[in-house]
Amino acid sequence: MSDIAIAPPKTAGHGLKRAIERFPFLPALLILVVLLVLNGLYQPRSVSLVGITGLVKTYLALMLLAVAQTYVVYAGDIDLSAGAIVSLVNVSIITAMDALGGGTSAVLLGLGLGLLVGLACGIVNGIVVAALRLQAIVATFATSIFFTGLALYVLPVAGTPAPTAFWRTYGGRILDIPFVMYAAVLLAVLLLVLARTQLTTRLLAVGDDQQAAYQSGLPVTRIRITGYALAGLFAALAAFCITGDTASGDPLVGGKMTLNSVAAVVLGGTALAGGFGTVTGSVIGALIIGLIGSLVFFVGTPSEWQNLVQGVAILVALMVGILVSRGARR
Amino acid sequence: MKKLVSLALGTVAAVALSAAAHAEDFKIGLSNGWVGSEWRTQMIEEAQAAAAAWKEKGHNVEVVVQSANVDVPGQIAHVRNFISEGVDAIIINPNSPTAFDPVFAQAKEAGILVIATDAEVSSPDAMYVGIDQKAWGAAGAEWLAKTLNGKGNVVAINGVAGHPANEMRVAGYKEVFAKHPDIKIVNEVNANWDQAQGQQAMQNLLATYPDIAGVWVQDGMAAGAWKSIMDANKSDQIAATGEIRKDFIDLWTKDKLNSGASVNPPGVMASALNVAVLLLQDKELKEPATAGQYGNAMYLDIPFIDSSNLAEAAKQVEGKPGYYSYTDQLSIEEAEALFK
Repeated sequence: MSDIAIAPPKTAGHGLKRAIERFPFLPALLILVVLLVLNGLYQPRSVSLVGITGLVKTYLALMLLAVAQTYVVYAGDIDLSAGAIVSLVNVSIITAMDALGGGTSAVLLGLGLGLLVGLACGIVNGIVVAALRLQAIVATFATSIFFTGLALYVLPVAGTPAPTAFWRTYGGRILDIPFVMYAAVLLAVLLLVLARTQLTTRLLAVGDDQQAAYQSGLPVTRIRITGYALAGLFAALAAFCITGDTASGDPLVGGKMTLNSVAAVVLGGTALAGGFGTVTGSVIGALIIGLIGSLVFFVGTPSEWQNLVQGVAILVALMVGILVSRGARR
Repeated sequence: MKKLVSLALGTVAAVALSAAAHAEDFKIGLSNGWVGSEWRTQMIEEAQAAAAAWKEKGHNVEVVVQSANVDVPGQIAHVRNFISEGVDAIIINPNSPTAFDPVFAQAKEAGILVIATDAEVSSPDAMYVGIDQKAWGAAGAEWLAKTLNGKGNVVAINGVAGHPANEMRVAGYKEVFAKHPDIKIVNEVNANWDQAQGQQAMQNLLATYPDIAGVWVQDGMAAGAWKSIMDANKSDQIAATGEIRKDFIDLWTKDKLNSGASVNPPGVMASALNVAVLLLQDKELKEPATAGQYGNAMYLDIPFIDSSNLAEAAKQVEGKPGYYSYTDQLSIEEAEALFK
């Protein structure tokens, strides 16, 4: 009898543990729901369809950049140039679209060029970090300065409007549904597919134990470079969203997004040391950062305290996430 | 019956009164995307004080503030939050000149007045109330050229490359120095609006060029540059632009530095707020805001501090903390004078 009495809590604990192991982003999801409810309580309009569309429109770029960062973090690396790549791609596509006349074909060519630029930046990072074996944190800091310099060369000062067709599409609706919602669904499908590829497993294996991965015959250097290349591509996608939401070129637009992307990754339950995590968590993490910023305002925090409260709120979110997963694993 | 009529009349009067009171009340959102300096804090405090001052004129102006270190999407979120909050006007010190075009269009659609201050924006749906950064840069250069009698070697210490305010200021001094063939710009460096970097840059420049006669330097970096000049015992040989914080004004007075400072007053946001409140009352500007490269600017006067009025400036900041900036704003009356 007593055995049976003890057994259910044990399985319940075990179940939660298994759930969190399988879906490390569950604590983050919980925080996201709480934040949405709180935002709705303090400002009902912020969770209306218009409000949520605005949220996605604004933070889709950070979500994509957090995804970019995740693939690098999977392998135990980091990319401090992510924001600079966003800037460089932003000014490259704006300049290209403008030079090509701003028609539909110009937009498509510009986007193609943007992907190439992002990919090239990612490969440069990969080579510097994985092939030349420089410390990722310092090497990508250096490349971030280099990429910003290139962005300033392409477009010395903010300006040059995006073709109307481009940003009207991003901010508009198709069949009465906001375009960004389609983009979000597309992103979800893409992430689902990528999560099932061998590449993700290999990146995680390298991050978990590089030596072991090497000894078991994995091409560690190539895998890490591929991780950076993938990050470059996703940074380019983030730049497309920024360009869609801002309709212009700005050589400094992405700089401050880098650390937010790292914070989003960690908030989402991915280990910075590598080997463990999910891109879904990072997407949720990006939304958490956005919602915390809004909530701080909607509850009426005095301006001189907003930075502090925002910082503390992010810290609390981090702690809640860690405590929940740790409790579950025990 | 009589009672009922009087009651009805009373209700009508009350409704009319509350409607009138409602029409006189405004909610204004202030957005600041960078909290790296006291100047920005002072900017918001002065704007809040300006809003409170409208009470005497019979208007309740409520300000809601969003001020935090944010990236561009973060500040776009500020604007979207203000739209959700249902404000009447948004006054923004923008992190990017161009990035807000779509979201400002959205705000205008929602019937919200948008005014940018301190940095111009390209959006046709917003207007700019603040100083002309190019004229700000030119004013310092004019002073320097005059002080040097139109000849000598000059160095420039600039802010962040690619930042629109910096680029405009640089264009301003270049235009002025170009008019003086005997003034030679021997070097221009970027010190990112950082006092320590400004000091370091000046040290390097002094070591490289022993014959510098003039320095054109902006904002807080000027205090750093002057520190290096004084450390090198060259304060009697070099004329350099200065800045507007009390600490520097005190040093300037005490050591009789050969300096002159263009003023970008933190009161610009308060000026913008006063203009906004008048616009919200459906008043019309005598001269529509069509200045500047984006054709949507209303430029405010730029005060200038040099030896002739240094004592006055020192008096204004007396008793304030060392980081307090010399300020100036468009009072309600001065703003009213700009309207029909």
